[in-house]
Amino acid sequence: MSTVTLKDLKKTYANGFQAIHGIDMEIRDGEFIVIVGPSGCGKSTLLRMIAGLETITDGELMIDDRRVNQVEPGKRDIAMVFQNYALYPHMSVYDNMAYGLKIRKKSTEEIAQQVNRAADILEIGALLDRKPSQLSGGQRQRVAMGRAIVRDPKVFLFDEPLSNLDAKLRVQMRIEIRKLQRALKTTAIYVTHDQVEAMTLADRLIVMNGGLPEQIGSPMELYDRPATTFVAGFIGSPAMNFIPVRVDKKGATFPSGQNLNFSVPSGHENVLLGIRPEDIEITTPDLADLTLKVSVIEPLGADSLIYGSCEGMKEDLVVRVRDKATVQEEETFSVRFNQQKLHYFDPTTNSRLP
Amino acid sequence: MVENRPLLTFFSHLALIIGISFIALPVWLAFVVSTQEASALFSGQVPLWPGEHFIENYSSILFEGEKNSGAPPILLMITNSLVMAICVAVGKITISIISAYAIVYFQFPFRQAIFWMIFMTLMLPVEVRILPTFEVIAQLGMLNSYAGLTIPLIASATATFLFRQFYMTIPDEMIEAARMDGAGPIRFFIDILLPLSRTNIAALFVILFIFGWNQYLWPLLVTTDASYYTVVMGIQRMMAVPDSDPIWHYVMATAILGMIPPVIVVVTMQKLFVKGLIETEK
Amino acid sequence: MQKQVRFDNKVLPYLLVAPQVLITIIFFIWPASQSVYQSFLVEDPFGLSSEFVWFANFEELFADSTYLDAFGRTLLFSFSTAFLAISMALFLAIMADRVIRGETLYKTFLIWPYAVAPALAGVLWFLMFNPTIGVIGFGLNALGYEWNHYLNGWQAMVLVIVASAWKQISYNFIFFLAGLQSIPKPLIEAAAIDGAGPAHRFKTIIFPLLSPTTFFLLVVNLVYAFFETFPVIHATTQGGPAKATEILVYKVFNDGFIGLDLGGSAAQSVILMIIVSGLTVFQFKYVEKKVTY
Repeated sequence: MSTVTLKDLKKTYANGFQAIHGIDMEIRDGEFIVIVGPSGCGKSTLLRMIAGLETITDGELMIDDRRVNQVEPGKRDIAMVFQNYALYPHMSVYDNMAYGLKIRKKSTEEIAQQVNRAADILEIGALLDRKPSQLSGGQRQRVAMGRAIVRDPKVFLFDEPLSNLDAKLRVQMRIEIRKLQRALKTTAIYVTHDQVEAMTLADRLIVMNGGLPEQIGSPMELYDRPATTFVAGFIGSPAMNFIPVRVDKKGATFPSGQNLNFSVPSGHENVLLGIRPEDIEITTPDLADLTLKVSVIEPLGADSLIYGSCEGMKEDLVVRVRDKATVQEEETFSVRFNQQKLHYFDPTTNSRLP
Repeated sequence: MVENRPLLTFFSHLALIIGISFIALPVWLAFVVSTQEASALFSGQVPLWPGEHFIENYSSILFEGEKNSGAPPILLMITNSLVMAICVAVGKITISIISAYAIVYFQFPFRQAIFWMIFMTLMLPVEVRILPTFEVIAQLGMLNSYAGLTIPLIASATATFLFRQFYMTIPDEMIEAARMDGAGPIRFFIDILLPLSRTNIAALFVILFIFGWNQYLWPLLVTTDASYYTVVMGIQRMMAVPDSDPIWHYVMATAILGMIPPVIVVVTMQKLFVKGLIETEK
Repeated sequence: MQKQVRFDNKVLPYLLVAPQVLITIIFFIWPASQSVYQSFLVEDPFGLSSEFVWFANFEELFADSTYLDAFGRTLLFSFSTAFLAISMALFLAIMADRVIRGETLYKTFLIWPYAVAPALAGVLWFLMFNPTIGVIGFGLNALGYEWNHYLNGWQAMVLVIVASAWKQISYNFIFFLAGLQSIPKPLIEAAAIDGAGPAHRFKTIIFPLLSPTTFFLLVVNLVYAFFETFPVIHATTQGGPAKATEILVYKVFNDGFIGLDLGGSAAQSVILMIIVSGLTVFQFKYVEKKVTY
């Protein structure tokens, strides 16, 4: 039941490398925050700063109303689930979960009660006597979560906790983490590089790039109105298509020289047009915004992805259609863009145009 | 085996048996001699089979010693050797495990310098600094004492390196998890690091026990009082009898007794021994 | 070298390294620097005064034919010991690697000499070569070859070499066997399918893959022979007869402890320190990382 406040938080390493350039954020009580970004974007550093495993160079970190910049990790009243679980190999599952409580000098009965409660929630009651080496990946993951929840902390921190699991288990655990956090109503901060995980888990998510948050908002906000080309490209799969558009007195044109059938924000000579694959539809030539030539078709079952090349563009445009593709490879086809779902970016600053 | 060549396999077994016999022969003959009576050794015959004086010779040497050379009862020497071997092994492990912990898990001024200083001990075996070391021990009043026998030997670069190497293989998340759990440096060391190091400690103990037991020059320098003799150096006193042959059956009984404890350690803890040997050279 | 994640504590690390550092300074660094200092001094015969003479002690040493002889003798002794111990161990390791049945038993019977103190190894072989009651000494005499290491320097040398090598075989054996067992089986099988027989496989595949181990063992064995064989000699021949087995470490001891030539002995110590430092650095720099177990 806690809030976490980041005020202009900065991190510079001893070698001069600035990993975090100043982040401001208010995390509300019980909120599930996901920090997402490519590797090296500073997302893990940020989480570790909140955990107390990395020192804070500048700014303020508050948990509830307490400034915790200098507080030892063990005294911040937080719990963390690590990517490789970090279970103590020589301790039983029970002892792994109990260790933090023992250090906090809780009574044996209280420890037993807490551990059993956590074991019940996670359905690992039968494993309490085992050593970590006798557990499967999924079981270890549960124990790692158990170790976090027995302490009943103010904040849960997750550092890519699912990346060591196979795809099927990952989906299953993702749902469980969400349910668990909803049930416990504990504030959670979760780091991942997987945008699907980010979208499905987050109340709000932070997209990080180069040590700075590119955008903070709910998953659908970020999907519908990405603030930068980076966010636009990162959220959503397959990624958004970008088409450079030239604007002069006569109007706007595609790289192929074809004119646009719709207006673009004024005042810019060059504009980057963004359109998601699912917002493009195949149409008849008379309604076409653009004509493409099929280079590859990827059938995914429910959907198909059509990669189409367009004159004057280096990269193929991706079009998502329901069911099977109605076109053949090497064929030419016409597409129409959903006018409600167009995004415009300034190609020099990469930020969204209104 | 890639292919089946009975002749080659037979030859391998034969070679191994010959090799083992060659290696065991001196010990067998030492045992044979140790069971003879003095007169049998002057008869101009080379004894190849044990005599009948096993109990007599061994009990005499164990409990009375060898008067001629002033050697005390071997039982006393064995006790001294045991004390020395255990103290050296435990001492080396203790100070190495904590200094490696400091070097790996803490950042502090002179850390690098201290590491190199420990490394330098590798380059200064007792053989190359005999006289000044003797003077230091003498000035500190450590001659003829267990402290003198053991403490100067317990600095160990090898053991420090072994633990350092081992700590480096422990994932960083282990210390992070412990910190999240609220464990400070001492709790982390006792609750996590020490239990994880168990096998390494045991393997190192085997190696260092032998190292301590087999010390020769050191006890030779430090002890002048026969009651502090260790078996391995004590035998030299029995060999170096001026102007006469050593009393072979006593010398050999001492040699046999002197090698039994470390050999038992190696043979019974073979796995740990091999692990320790290979790890300490990494 | 060090963890990224560390504890912050101002005092604790110093307390943790203190015992090791104190012992190192008192019993290693201080005496060694005393040796270095002493090596530049000449003391009068009564030990009343001493004079700083720079490198005079070293110059004297290198002009001294007995020292140079000891140097040559040490090289002969060390390389012979290393060669004998390594070749025997390699042979036995290859045989042990070949057999399937009884491997553990053979291994047990081959590794125990490691536990035998060098001094005791010396004593055992001293008996073996004894001209009257030793099997080898007596046997050689009976066959008409006159054996008496009490009088014959070369024979005494053979005695200490054999005793020193004997003790080291098990060490080398363990490393060779580990080296052999770490060679991937598919490699050997591929060679066998290519039609290479056991001898050919050894020459073209196994031995090249073992060469880092061999090289490492050569260095270790040389260090052993240089320094750790002191007990073998001290307990048996005492450097004799007529200095025939007086190797460098024995000479340092003898000149300093028995002969009380402090400056000369200290200079010898310094030279030995340089040798052992060189070998250690060499071992760490060129050997350590390339050895495959």
